Amino acid sequence: MLNQTSAVTVRVLKQLSHDRRFVGLSLIVPVFVIYLLWIFFDAVERPFFNVETFVPPVAAFIVHFLTYVLCAIVLVRERSTHTLVRMFVSGYDRVSIIGGYLVAYSLLATLQSLIVLVMLNSLFELNYDMGTFVSMFVVIWLLAIISIALGIFVSNFARNEGQVFPFIPLVIMPSIFFSGMIMSVDLLPNWAAPLSYLTPMFYANEVIQSIISTGGNSMFMVGLIAYGGVILVLAIFTLRE
Amino acid sequence: MITNAIQVTGLHKAYGHIKALDGIDVTVQEGEIFGLLGANGAGKSTLINVLIGTLASDSGSAEVLGFDPRKQRRQLRPQVGYMPQHQALYEDLSARDNIRFFARAQPIDNLEQRLDEVIEFMGLTDRQHDPVYGYSGGMEQRVSLACALVHKPRLLFLDEPSTGVDPKLRESLWGHFRELVKQGVTIVVSTHQMDEALHCDRVCVMRNGEILACDSPRDLLARGKVEVTIWKDGQAQTQTVTNYAKELPQLLGVDSAISKIEIHEDTLEDVVLRLINKGKHHA
Repeated sequence: MLNQTSAVTVRVLKQLSHDRRFVGLSLIVPVFVIYLLWIFFDAVERPFFNVETFVPPVAAFIVHFLTYVLCAIVLVRERSTHTLVRMFVSGYDRVSIIGGYLVAYSLLATLQSLIVLVMLNSLFELNYDMGTFVSMFVVIWLLAIISIALGIFVSNFARNEGQVFPFIPLVIMPSIFFSGMIMSVDLLPNWAAPLSYLTPMFYANEVIQSIISTGGNSMFMVGLIAYGGVILVLAIFTLRE
Repeated sequence: MITNAIQVTGLHKAYGHIKALDGIDVTVQEGEIFGLLGANGAGKSTLINVLIGTLASDSGSAEVLGFDPRKQRRQLRPQVGYMPQHQALYEDLSARDNIRFFARAQPIDNLEQRLDEVIEFMGLTDRQHDPVYGYSGGMEQRVSLACALVHKPRLLFLDEPSTGVDPKLRESLWGHFRELVKQGVTIVVSTHQMDEALHCDRVCVMRNGEILACDSPRDLLARGKVEVTIWKDGQAQTQTVTNYAKELPQLLGVDSAISKIEIHEDTLEDVVLRLINKGKHHA
């Protein structure tokens, strides 16, 4: 299984290395969006959000959004070009296929998370100490990895690239409204509050708030990891030949 | 001792109201080239997909090299090669990288040496490091076949391997197939090209998920007929003969009024099309 996983990883990395535009855009777009965010806050005299508690989760959301969208079409493309069937008939198993993609894209996610955090710290003059910086990186990186798994899980339900697009708002909109990023989850109606547990941004936001302020709850790190584990298992079991 | 590489009994598969496989019984002997012949939608690809384990049948049984292709696909797949109808290659990777990737699904000793062998066998040496998107259709077919062969399978499934391929390359591919059979590989090939069926040891004619006939090309041809049209006194008279070497002299007699004779001998295509248009025959 390790040999198969490494074979998938090597192949995906080779393909990424041939697609420099894709890699470049994956790294430049979050930088550009963070910069736009900074311009907005710089232009607004009295920002309606506290920059220090609002901007870090938004940066995490940008990484979550991008990695999820990029990975949502990954296995769909394998299916539409029939290489997925060929992989299975050759002898590759589901765990190796998804594991290989996860490892390969996690390298990209690592770079994304690092670049976003450095931009954030520098542009907004947040002056994180090393401990805070490392803690923030771990959360954003973990969220990115989980977003990869989420994208792969969703792509199992689409037969072609066009069918992936409706799934994008289905995952991203709850991340915006139910994660506590814009308003506290406690202010949501009783029926909506449990929906927070279905989005990884909720757990990530809680942990980020616990790092940078007196709010949040660091125990939600366990929840974030558990969420990622569940999504990964679901992605593996829903991958069909 | 000849054993059965494939044994299929009473196989059924439906997509809604469409019967893709309707009670298929077929055996394939080890070491033979077995052809699946039929028009688009006959059930050829569906049968292959059941036999390689990517599709579950609704009922019936299938045994491939002694394994249940669906329940024991992990044990079966190291021994099976599959060349799909679509190229199923990573076009941004080179031929060598494509073949290496599919090879790594199985443990292969001296992998790079094996890659060299199969690349040379398929005539890809000169361009093995070029990305596949720059290849012609024929070269892509060769890469696709190389990916199926690299782990030395006992049984090879080829789903319309020469679609869109020029006659010269088709002949080259069949040369490779005959070479593989000499090495002991069993080949199941699906095609709708009648002249390809002549290369097979046995041919199974399919229509609408049913088997109409399963025989050697020679015996299938023997089911054909010969029509003799004789023009005499300005009138044409057509007769069907089964042995025109014997019957023709009788027909002709010694008659100086005969101005023209036309003989039409059924090709394999004629026999198959007649079978398909007539309906189900007991094989």
